[in-house]
Amino acid sequence: MKTLNKPAFRRLRPAAFALLLTALPFALEQASSYFTHIAISILIFAILALSLNVIIGYAGIFALGHAAFFGIGAYTAALLMMKGELSFWLALPAAAVAAGLFGVLLGLAGIRLRGDYLAIVTLGFGEIVRLVFVNGGKVTNGPMGIPGIPAPDLFGYALTRKTEFYFLALLLLLFTVFVIYRVVHSGIGLSLMTIREDETLADSIGISPVRFKVFAFALGAFFAGAAGAFWASYISYISPDTFRYLDSVNILAMVIVGGIASIPGSVLGAAVMVLAPELLRFVNDYRMLLLGLAIVLMMMFRPEGIWSEKRRRVHVYRQSER
Amino acid sequence: MNRKLGWIPVLLALLMVLMTACGGKEENSSSGGTIQIGLAAPISGTQAQYGEALRNGAELAARQINEAGDIDGKTVKIVVEDDKGDSNEAVNVANKFANNKDILALVGHFNSSATLAAAPVYNRNRIVHISPASSAPGVTDAGDYTYRVITTDAFQAKFLADWSKELGYQKVALIYEQSDFGLGLLDVYQSAATAHGIEIVAAESYLPGAKEFSTILTKIKEKRPDAVFIGGFYNEAALIASQAKKLDLRTDYIGVDSLYSRALLELGGESVENFKLIGFFYPGGNNEQATKFRDAYVEAYGKEPDTYAAYAYDAASILIEAIRQNGADREKIKAYLDTLKDFPGATGSLTFDENGDVQTVPQKLIVKNGAFALYEG
Amino acid sequence: MFLQQLANGLTIGMIYALIALGYTLVYGILKFVNFAHGDIYMIGSFIGLFLIERLHMPLIPAFVTAAVATAIIGMIIERVAYRPLRTADRIVPLISALGVSIFLSSLAQKLWGTGTHPFPASFGSVTYNVGGLIFSQIQLLILVLSFALMIGLHLFVTRTRIGTALRATSLSITNAQLMGIDTNRIISLAFAIGSALAAVAGIMVGIYYNAVYPTMGYMAGINAFTAAVLGGIGSIPGAMLGGLLFGVIENFTGAYISTPFQSVITFSVLIVVLLIKPTGILGKKEILKV
Repeated sequence: MKTLNKPAFRRLRPAAFALLLTALPFALEQASSYFTHIAISILIFAILALSLNVIIGYAGIFALGHAAFFGIGAYTAALLMMKGELSFWLALPAAAVAAGLFGVLLGLAGIRLRGDYLAIVTLGFGEIVRLVFVNGGKVTNGPMGIPGIPAPDLFGYALTRKTEFYFLALLLLLFTVFVIYRVVHSGIGLSLMTIREDETLADSIGISPVRFKVFAFALGAFFAGAAGAFWASYISYISPDTFRYLDSVNILAMVIVGGIASIPGSVLGAAVMVLAPELLRFVNDYRMLLLGLAIVLMMMFRPEGIWSEKRRRVHVYRQSER
Repeated sequence: MNRKLGWIPVLLALLMVLMTACGGKEENSSSGGTIQIGLAAPISGTQAQYGEALRNGAELAARQINEAGDIDGKTVKIVVEDDKGDSNEAVNVANKFANNKDILALVGHFNSSATLAAAPVYNRNRIVHISPASSAPGVTDAGDYTYRVITTDAFQAKFLADWSKELGYQKVALIYEQSDFGLGLLDVYQSAATAHGIEIVAAESYLPGAKEFSTILTKIKEKRPDAVFIGGFYNEAALIASQAKKLDLRTDYIGVDSLYSRALLELGGESVENFKLIGFFYPGGNNEQATKFRDAYVEAYGKEPDTYAAYAYDAASILIEAIRQNGADREKIKAYLDTLKDFPGATGSLTFDENGDVQTVPQKLIVKNGAFALYEG
Repeated sequence: MFLQQLANGLTIGMIYALIALGYTLVYGILKFVNFAHGDIYMIGSFIGLFLIERLHMPLIPAFVTAAVATAIIGMIIERVAYRPLRTADRIVPLISALGVSIFLSSLAQKLWGTGTHPFPASFGSVTYNVGGLIFSQIQLLILVLSFALMIGLHLFVTRTRIGTALRATSLSITNAQLMGIDTNRIISLAFAIGSALAAVAGIMVGIYYNAVYPTMGYMAGINAFTAAVLGGIGSIPGAMLGGLLFGVIENFTGAYISTPFQSVITFSVLIVVLLIKPTGILGKKEILKV
């Protein structure tokens, strides 16, 4: 490792990385389209993990219904493209905004609630959204889902190959990382983290918890919605099944395992959670069991995740009584 | 900490490239002596019991042909992938199968939503798949390479509506599963029955996997229906019947093939006596194939097969026959399926129409003395 | 029909009350929502099923054994997954509880499969017809036993020394310690009682619906939690009241709207209560010390 960390190599690192990322889909495609699909899944789930991390890691809110925003984005985009004849490039931002609005809604509903209550409320939100999808009758086509969602159309050329989707997903991820990085390293980010550490204190020095928490929800929801729009077009079929409580838990696991409040951590977490079931197919039966165990163990020994924010060791002594 | 960790993504990417380079080589090597047919089913998750039935049925078909040593001396192997009953996972599985050149065709999936999600992948990659259980109407248009051995909900519900008229029901209550399956049945049955002059006095839905029906049943009891149509699976049907009995609700019950299973009898006991259902799989009746299948299944697995095992058996058998007649080639298999006519299956005499939907005739069944029997008159 | 639905609602309400008590006991002391409580209820139900079906234990011993076994499981979970995290950020034990919940339900799936298990048919199938109202034996059992248990708990908490220690601890852990109370044991006790009650509830539900399955803890847990919040979390009579009230509301929703709509009602009630009066009907106002 020492040699690899020498200044010369270190400067090469981002370039090497970029090269690998670009060459990757072609290499994967050679072997099997299936691998490219896995890579795309990792990219999209990385976006989801990042968006959830904004809420959980930076704002400190334990949010459980994140798949709902994913779903809202997917359904909005699907409906806009199919019934509204909108192009993918318009549908995606529209879907992201729609999801963001719901994020604002959830944020407003939950601001006055304490951690445990808020968690359940977010869970409830996730369930209600899913039930709306299921019972949406003519609009959402209910449990039958919406098949035949068109692929993105670039000046008359429809994206068909996986490699094309890969690059689109990569661009989306890079955009997400860029925006979130800027937010987190700005005044907004600092305010969020202040609220996370001690809400009452933040309030007393003029940082409005309401405003920033709602913002966190909105931002997280926005990107989750964008991911949803992509997914709808990529898979070309969505149904309420795709966005259940279990899926929210999955995304949560990515954040926890990868690293709370850490951008590279979220990407890592996504990679781990997508690859693990594939690589460990032989323990498939025990997958959920191990996941539960892993979560408990992580909380006991490394609650901040694998690749975490530098100084964050979750260790603050709290008064357990009020 | 972060310096060292910075190498993780680079190493990961490198790892993936290497993995695919090596893995790719494996995939491309020919597998010589085996003929591989895929099976995409919910092996884990809440539908695992159905996945198991599908797997048993398909593997039985493979085993039988291997014992007869029939396809150029090559053995047939069923390659099983778990879609967990999840449409996202179904796409993963579809990609895996479609891109594996050794998989000639496959049986799959179980849930209609899984089939619908996976179908575009199969169709794009021109590999045939036969669903043994997806009865939603949407599957008809899912693609040229999508077939199924189960009739659509529309077909079964209509048939049931006609039979309801014959049985002289005037007021029918509907209890259906809030899912693509239940809703599909509801729609068609409702319109067909109403066209026959039958009054639908109630239509109550329940969430898949629900256990508590006394609320619904209390409502329905008020309406005094001649019969209750259960648009769902056998687990819930049994619970409905036994809970209805506790509430002293007396009525007839009717349903489609999703009710056919030993579990209905075991869970429901006395309360499912006189249940009327239409079925495509009924051993011990007029269909010799069905009886033969059942006997072989009992010998192999020590328990009775349900409808889904039979469907999977038929689907696999059709694919095996296609390979036997036309050769181990994806397109040739499709050609065979397009001309399939009156194939002797455990679920009836099967023919595919131009959409890949199966055409076959159901049987009317009734539960008598704790067992399924043919309905007479 | 109204009366019948009311009766059904009260029956399920009693069950919710029993489970809600588990939430409230733990929350009252630790201000922590035990996410895994619903799954403990499920485990209790499975243990009861196992005892009755496989070991052919008669009903009462089965109840007692299952309650004790589940109490032990609850205590172990507290010791292993929650106690070490008591000094950490609040979010940490919450996540741990989630992990425990996932672990328990997957364990159940692994041990007993994902299907539904019926209770042996001989139970609770006798029904009584009281002027048009149908009561099954099991419904009667639920009403009577739950009521007895709740009275028992109330007496325990108000009339015994340990009960007083419990109440003292829920007011202030530090002060209780200063009075010489071993708060760790009291907390274990709270978990034990909560889990035992949940187990009894689970077995009764298993008999009532004739169905035991690994995911039964999920919705029941959320419903019971909503009930606890409705009645006032941290308050024992609150949990009882909330349970009954919620059971009736839920049942009437199913009766007059539709059953799939019930979960929407659950969360709507929760959100409404939390927005308007977060302390619930019988809850005390909490003063947030800075």
